[in-house]
Amino acid sequence: MEWIGLANYAVFMAIFICIYALLSLGLNIQWGFTGLFNAGIAGFFAVGAYTSAVLTSPAAEGRLGGFDLPVPIGWIGAMVAAALIAWPIGKICLRFRSDYLAIATIGVAEIIRLVIKSEDWLTNSARGITDIPRPFGDLPYVYSQLAYLAIVASVLFVAYLMVERQIAAPWGRMMRAIRDNEDAARAMGKDVPFRRLEAFIFGSALMGLGGALFAHFNRTITPEAIDPMIATFLVWIMLILGGSGNNRGAILGVAVVWIIWSMSEIVTDQLPHEYAVKAKYMRVFLIGLMLQLVLRFRPEGLLPEPQGTRAEMSEKSK
Amino acid sequence: MNKFRTALAATLLGATAMAAPAQADVKIGLLGGVSGPIAAMAPAMIDSARLAVQQVNDNGGILDGEKLVAVIGDSACNPQNGTDAATKAVNIENVVGIVGPHCSGSVLAAANSVTIPAGVTIISPSGTSPEISGLNDNDTVFRTVPSDDFQGRALARTLLLRDTAKVAVAYLNNDYGKGLAESFRDEFEGNGGEIAGFAAHEGEKASYRSNLAELASGGADTLVIFDYGDGSGLTMLRQALENGFFTNFVGGDGMKSDAPIKELGAENLTTFLSSAPVGEKSDSLEMFGKAFAEIGGDPAAIFATTSYDAAFMLALAIEKAGGDKAKVSASLREISNGEGEPIRAGEWAKAKELIAAGTAIDYKGAAGDHNFDDKGDVPGTYALFKVSGDNFEVVTEIQ
Repeated sequence: MEWIGLANYAVFMAIFICIYALLSLGLNIQWGFTGLFNAGIAGFFAVGAYTSAVLTSPAAEGRLGGFDLPVPIGWIGAMVAAALIAWPIGKICLRFRSDYLAIATIGVAEIIRLVIKSEDWLTNSARGITDIPRPFGDLPYVYSQLAYLAIVASVLFVAYLMVERQIAAPWGRMMRAIRDNEDAARAMGKDVPFRRLEAFIFGSALMGLGGALFAHFNRTITPEAIDPMIATFLVWIMLILGGSGNNRGAILGVAVVWIIWSMSEIVTDQLPHEYAVKAKYMRVFLIGLMLQLVLRFRPEGLLPEPQGTRAEMSEKSK
Repeated sequence: MNKFRTALAATLLGATAMAAPAQADVKIGLLGGVSGPIAAMAPAMIDSARLAVQQVNDNGGILDGEKLVAVIGDSACNPQNGTDAATKAVNIENVVGIVGPHCSGSVLAAANSVTIPAGVTIISPSGTSPEISGLNDNDTVFRTVPSDDFQGRALARTLLLRDTAKVAVAYLNNDYGKGLAESFRDEFEGNGGEIAGFAAHEGEKASYRSNLAELASGGADTLVIFDYGDGSGLTMLRQALENGFFTNFVGGDGMKSDAPIKELGAENLTTFLSSAPVGEKSDSLEMFGKAFAEIGGDPAAIFATTSYDAAFMLALAIEKAGGDKAKVSASLREISNGEGEPIRAGEWAKAKELIAAGTAIDYKGAAGDHNFDDKGDVPGTYALFKVSGDNFEVVTEIQ
């Protein structure tokens, strides 16, 4: 019983790690490879989650949809919707440099969150959408979790391979060139605004997919899930800690932060009961402290971005 | 890097070692929004639930004199942490039942992805969203707080009875405020009342003057506020009074807080009414109040009574079910269905004897009778309060 319980918990964490890894990968394309400071991850996460929810949930009164479509269509829809939202935002905001872009994207994410929270006809506002189907959700608890883990893990694996391939391709080198020296890249004849828009849209689509996987896992999505703290800044912490510019680092960062966050509660629960409530705040502090330490002692992250020529890079990654 | 790996492995191992519980204890989970937006409310709720656990242990323990242990989890008022905390409670701590989570979004997510598949009964003391009623839950999701639907409707009928036929409504834009506001509007307009302004506002802003001016332009002199009295509701009330936008004010249970009286003064709140749930058997409420005050709690804290009742009922149900996780939800219905020997707050020894003897019992809680309907919801009993001195005083019961 004990081991089954632990295994269940491990599977649950693995599912969450896979979902957040998609967000982190998306951010890595934007920040790690292209240098776009997107502080509106929650917005794209939300668009993906709600699009898939509306597409796949059974018909409901008082809001758009549900269209009861198969789940994969919902997921594709989530990516398309997040990309479509990213396009005009990118068009407008990407002309800003780093910190201005951050402010603009925070604003956009807040707009999206407030629209979702307020528009009954679209998202059932504050109450959220329920009855979202989970693939293999009818199986018993353990099997249903395992099946979902298999799905999200394969989605993550495919996404990882595709991003890796794209980054290793000339496109990836061009993006890094734009990131490191925009003027030089422009002088080489690269269409900088267009390329940055591309990266912004790709990354956002991945974030949308992460949102969709999240909504289907919980069979429900409410505006509480798209709080900037948990859907934007947490992802940033994960990426910076893992190592921006390195996809494996992005995924490792997610795993480390999530495991420490979740497991720290088990540790703090061992404190005497008087402190049980207070101890919960320690966890938030722990994450902050961890970020500080990493930034101080290992600013390039746990797995830094590989440097150098192509040959050296593949040598290093072995 | 290697050092880091070692540290991580040590953490994992440590957690595994510590997760092995002493088998003699019966564990229940208390999941609450300890961090996050309701961090100010959560400690009182958790303390009152722990009071129930303590009473059980002081009066003979659970089952064969075993100890009831409350495992506290932080659901942080969001689905991510809610499911995480529920997974830990169910799988690592092996709880028999759960009190919580606190916020509706956490309840929906934790129930859907963890507790319903795992067959663990949960009782939320504060998840008020009507969506929770509709969960396909195999009868494992209950709550001791009425759905927002009940209170909004009851308040609307009462105001109409008191000849207030034209009001403006301001509500906090979350599931709580919105649920109340919509059911209120539905009932108010359905019975011939006129809503002269209806608007959501976001919490924790410095000024609501423009919102208030907009609402006042409809010509109503009564403002109904569905918000929290120690948060943006207070700001709104203050600014409405300062600028004379409205003369009469009515609040939901969230507004029945000490903060407005302390901050604005009772003399300025003569036209302020607030609805809030009241215990039907007031002696049960008194018994809880006395016990909770003794351990330093504030019995009037919002959702303290519902949290206490949830924990106490869960303990009763576990006792009745003989500790069998699968039978807890059925037992929960048996211990509080309106028939049997009444058990009031804190009467654990008496209840334990009766259960052992096979006598039917009926829990009459601090927050109400808690006779669950077929969706696991409870109807509420409410009263309309006015400010009197430094406190609230019942004006009339509302149905």
